[in-house]
Amino acid sequence: MNPSAARVAARVLEALGRGERIYTAVVTGARDPALIGRRWWLSGRRHGGSLGSPALDEAVAAAVPALFPPRESRGALSRDFRYPDGGRTVTATVYIELHGPPARMVIVGAGHIAIPLSRMAAMLGMRVEVLDDRPDFAAADRFPEAAAVRVIDFRDPFAAMDLGPSDHVVLVTRGHSFDYECLVRLLRMSAPPGYIGMIGSRRRVRATHEQLAREGFTTDEMRRVRAPVGLDLGGQTPAEIAVSVVAEIILFHGGGTGAPLVEKERVVERFFGDPGGRNAAED
Amino acid sequence: MDEKELLGQLATLREPAVLATIVSARGSTPRKTGARMLVGRDGVIAGTVGGGCGEGEVIAAAEALLAGAPPRTVRVDLTDDFTTWSPAVCGGIMDVFVERANPERFDGP
Repeated sequence: MNPSAARVAARVLEALGRGERIYTAVVTGARDPALIGRRWWLSGRRHGGSLGSPALDEAVAAAVPALFPPRESRGALSRDFRYPDGGRTVTATVYIELHGPPARMVIVGAGHIAIPLSRMAAMLGMRVEVLDDRPDFAAADRFPEAAAVRVIDFRDPFAAMDLGPSDHVVLVTRGHSFDYECLVRLLRMSAPPGYIGMIGSRRRVRATHEQLAREGFTTDEMRRVRAPVGLDLGGQTPAEIAVSVVAEIILFHGGGTGAPLVEKERVVERFFGDPGGRNAAED
Repeated sequence: MDEKELLGQLATLREPAVLATIVSARGSTPRKTGARMLVGRDGVIAGTVGGGCGEGEVIAAAEALLAGAPPRTVRVDLTDDFTTWSPAVCGGIMDVFVERANPERFDGP
């Protein structure tokens, strides 16, 4: 029996409740109209439903890990699949979704930048965790939007956290020696967080990198760290700096240019440029 | 609206509805692949596939499904002449899959 869209939605919510990724698929195009609307889902070793052919189910199951990068927790796309059916090869269009636990934002350093950063990351739907070694700063009442606020020891700041490619870590500690302790551990992980950012002036970032270089880290490893973190918006206040950091995270996932859209699209210049006027200069 | 909220509504439906999902989008469309809308007998229950830009066509298709039509892909073309005041000048084309979303307890083929 084909599971209803309602039943598949319930399976998605259950998987998210367990903190697991789940793929769902539905046939949207096929020569045989009986296949349209057939549904299937896969979460770890659990699966249910069918796209109407075991061969098609297998083809989709084999394809999904490569269709969605491990750093993404949400995805949606359509693909055509060719699969054997009787003696011939047929094609079906399948719409596939990935649902995963919300992306995690780990903020290290619970100072004045961390407060708006925690709020904004939560607004983006991220699970926020705030770490600091000072109990007065790493206090839950300072971070009402955070899922976890932890007092840590900078000798092992990410103990038992199980960080991975889908995670974001932003270092906003009170001193570059703390940033350095964090970076050494993050860069030595077998599967480091996909997004590692570190706040700082050019001088402070250089000081941290000098220390990494002395420890034998390569420039490729240094380049894995977005430092100074954020986009160049010219902001000054903690809230403005937090905007520039979350903007860079959106850019990281969204793949935009980061430039003002008016400069990217240039509608006036493209379509209303006066050859004799100042708008003509660029064309 | 939060996507998880829509999934929650879908999982706990009390009467038949239609789920409309953007399964592919090209060019400038107000919502992207994965956006969805739940339509019941009295109209939109939750979500959106783009508002003025094409949503009317999708709602009409959803009503046909509620009346018994089979699931299908609706192609919404938003590339109307931009010198008109048509709402469909966003500039893209999207495919929206509409399917019956029966309540859990009515689970059937």
